Amino acid sequence: MQSPKETLTKLRKVDTGELNQLKKRTDAATLVIIFFIAVILARLWFLQIHYGSKYKDKADNNRVRMLDVVASRGNVLDRDGRTIITNRPSFNIVWVKEDSPDPDEIIKKLSRILNEEIAVLLKRVREAADNPRHIPILLQEDIDWKTLVYIENNHYDLPGVRIEVLPRRDYLYEDFGSHMIGYLGQINMKELEEKNSANYQGGDQIGKRGFEKLYEDELRGEKGTMYMEVDAHGFEQRQLKGKETLPGNDLQLTIDMDLQLEAEKAMAGKAGAVVAMDVKSGRLLVFASAPPLHLEDFVGGISTKNWQALLENIKRPLVHKTIQGQYPPGSTYKIVTALAGLSKGVITPNTVFYCSGSMKFGNRRYGCWKEGGHGPVSLHRALAESCDVYFYQVGLKVEVDSLAEYANRMGLGHKTGIDFEYEKSGLIPTAAWKKLAKGVSWQDGETLSIAIGQGFNLVTPLQVCQMTVALANGGILYKPFLIERIIDSEGQVAKEFEPVVDVELVGMEKYLKLIREGLVGAVNDRHGTGKEAQLKDVTVAGKTGTAQVVSMKKFQETDEEDVAYKHKDHAWFTSFAPAENPEIAVTVLVEHGGHGGSAAAPIAKKILARYFAKKTELETNKAKENQNVLQ
Amino acid sequence: MLVAVLLIAAMGLINLYSATYAGGASSTTVFIRQLFFFLAGLSCIMIIHLFDYRLLLTWNYILYGIVVCLLLASLLLGGSIAGTQRWINLGFFRLQPSEPAKLMLVISLASYYYRKDTGRGFTIGQLLIPMALTGVFFILVLMQPDLGTAMMFAGIFISMTLFVKLKWSTIGIIFGGCSAVIPIGWQFFLKPYQKQRIMTFLSPESDPTNSGYHIMQSKIAVGSGLKFGKGYLKGTQGHLHFLPERHTDFAFSVWAEEWGFAGSLFFLAVYFFMILWGLNVCLASRDKFGVLLAFGIVSLIFWQAIINLLMVMGFLPVVGIPLPLFSYGGSSLLTTLIGIGLLMNIRMRRNQVRKN
Repeated sequence: MQSPKETLTKLRKVDTGELNQLKKRTDAATLVIIFFIAVILARLWFLQIHYGSKYKDKADNNRVRMLDVVASRGNVLDRDGRTIITNRPSFNIVWVKEDSPDPDEIIKKLSRILNEEIAVLLKRVREAADNPRHIPILLQEDIDWKTLVYIENNHYDLPGVRIEVLPRRDYLYEDFGSHMIGYLGQINMKELEEKNSANYQGGDQIGKRGFEKLYEDELRGEKGTMYMEVDAHGFEQRQLKGKETLPGNDLQLTIDMDLQLEAEKAMAGKAGAVVAMDVKSGRLLVFASAPPLHLEDFVGGISTKNWQALLENIKRPLVHKTIQGQYPPGSTYKIVTALAGLSKGVITPNTVFYCSGSMKFGNRRYGCWKEGGHGPVSLHRALAESCDVYFYQVGLKVEVDSLAEYANRMGLGHKTGIDFEYEKSGLIPTAAWKKLAKGVSWQDGETLSIAIGQGFNLVTPLQVCQMTVALANGGILYKPFLIERIIDSEGQVAKEFEPVVDVELVGMEKYLKLIREGLVGAVNDRHGTGKEAQLKDVTVAGKTGTAQVVSMKKFQETDEEDVAYKHKDHAWFTSFAPAENPEIAVTVLVEHGGHGGSAAAPIAKKILARYFAKKTELETNKAKENQNVLQ
Repeated sequence: MLVAVLLIAAMGLINLYSATYAGGASSTTVFIRQLFFFLAGLSCIMIIHLFDYRLLLTWNYILYGIVVCLLLASLLLGGSIAGTQRWINLGFFRLQPSEPAKLMLVISLASYYYRKDTGRGFTIGQLLIPMALTGVFFILVLMQPDLGTAMMFAGIFISMTLFVKLKWSTIGIIFGGCSAVIPIGWQFFLKPYQKQRIMTFLSPESDPTNSGYHIMQSKIAVGSGLKFGKGYLKGTQGHLHFLPERHTDFAFSVWAEEWGFAGSLFFLAVYFFMILWGLNVCLASRDKFGVLLAFGIVSLIFWQAIINLLMVMGFLPVVGIPLPLFSYGGSSLLTTLIGIGLLMNIRMRRNQVRKN
């Protein structure tokens, strides 16, 4: 090993030859360096000068996130101003995956916090894979207060996880009026095209059925915008100025909540409809369809399982039976037959027919529901005790086309025009219709069935109610309506709805009066079929009906209880009260309920009772108030 | 010369302050640390001045051995950050041995090439030892894993080897060997994320939120600087944490965003002035060892700078190479300053040989 000094002295010098080579090499290196400098400068120019503005925009986009703020949806109120449906905040856990440095860890932590299995959370993440990356993944909706506080306190341990506050429909009375109210769902492509897409985006909630859909524009309000400056972890830094939301308008219904609740309670476990209308205006006080929809199931989108269950339920919850259900009217149709007979002059109030329990026509026997027969019957008893034979006779004399004419006049066989979706028109047959529809001529024997509301006849409960109202008020067919007024977010009335007269029948007052008296008898006479609807303090008038589902002959031998549900007759009862000066009409249909008198009438009674109890209470309170004022 | 260095370091510190501005309490610590290392580095330069660089020739193998030990220590004992074993915790600071290793390799290769220089060019056989020297470092660092720095060693080896005279046969064999090694290395030796990095380099836009994210964000930061920048401390990309690693790998992005094209031009001018000055030392030196050493140090600084800048501009995948003197990093700063100290040393003593 040489000593340091020796090493130093023995250092070879660089000779000139080598020096030249060295210079060449160094020059080459310098060129390389200069080349790279040029590249860098060119690129810098490219990025900063040439495309600078583009990057500036990207930088701005990076840091300011524009967030939509959903407006508070309008409330739904009943006729007395009581809130039925409103909104409440729903706290959702959302996750922006790209903001989390360790996604697996986050999922594990959240699984514990949210008390949800990892597999379920991962499934939600997978399902969101098709969404654009900046849209947060919804992991759990509507978390409770404790979870919310925990996550807020620990949010630095959970980068990428955020709480999103969204308004959520709050159904204060559960399934109250579920068919009317309807539900919300995520907007689909078709709806996006139909609506002005400036106001709607993918992912928005939109009314899908019922009022939520029909009055979507009123209820929705206007979205606001919030500009939030965020850092790359998604942590919100500060809020910049944005646009305020405009809350939606409220809907005030004509529906009386107490009566509707009474109706829905009475129809629990059954299928059918209850309609109650104000005789003097056409306002609907009750508009119920059974079974109801469980509205909570629809919030956030109904599960396939629940949807399937709805589709397969034989009681058809998805059908709004008040206007979509079409049934043979049964004996309620006798109102029409009577009117036709009287108007055409084939009968008078004193005309008598003899009912022996059946009638022979052609080569058939047409029976009366009362086996032993009613004996000699005039109009009043025929209506009160619902004698079939009497009306067979009337029907024969008047013939099918006249029956159809008066049926149509009374609102049957065509839509009422109510401002609601999916209304059906029902069917009132004529000879011509049969030729067209069935290719065969009308048989007179069929008129007999028609006369008592069986056969081809189809009506909706709303039509029957409208007819009853026209009967009760002397011939005015009102257009039924459900919305009283629309109130804006400041409490001002934005729109008021007035009663609309559809048709006013003239020259029938006498006849209608006679029919009304018959209906009074049906409820209050000793042998009236509608006795179960009788009230102590108020004179109720009504008509029972039993619509055959399957021909009676088949089940003649069988006990009624043993008949399968789906073969049982539909039960009708339509009524109005007080008879002297009618205010309200109530129509009840119980699918497969059996006899109208036993199945439907009691329900109508409950509603009428409630109505009048409420009225009395109001009057008592007013009287008290007046007393206080006077004192 | 010193002026340029001081200027760069000063700009580095200023930038660092901005880069860590929004970081909260720890940010001032980072700033102070960098300042500390800068001062330490300056002291080292002073110390180096007292010695002759040629002492390195004698100390070469001992120093090499020490560095190897340090590298092994970091693998076996070192703390792990994000799954990488790069550090040794020495209490007051964490030493990253791969940094001094870079300088060490330059010194060792320079020594070797100086000693074995026959004037007729090196044969491939003679290249075996340099390759081994490089290889040891390469593998030790690759195991950390730190692909970027490992490639750096390869880069130094290539630069310096090309600089010395080689037989043509040697050149041919090297090329052949490389073409064989690269596909094999790709298949068997690269970790998935390393492969991914190279893939997304080719098109970072295709995956903006994962591996290409850093590059995308860097381009946005740089580009949005426009002509005159957003202003000191006002860079939104950095401050709002959109730009990751903004005090280390992406320090230049912050500068570019805040000082714009004008500021970047100035910075680059000073920086490359320094590099070209270093190259000049090569020519000024009167002995082979000095030449080689100077060249090695310059290429070390140069390649790191270029790779970092290209990465920041979106031309290269993210490889974790800092910008010497500018990026935060005690080991890197110290090592670079020592290297510059050596350069100054070489230049200073260029006339001494003649005297002897």
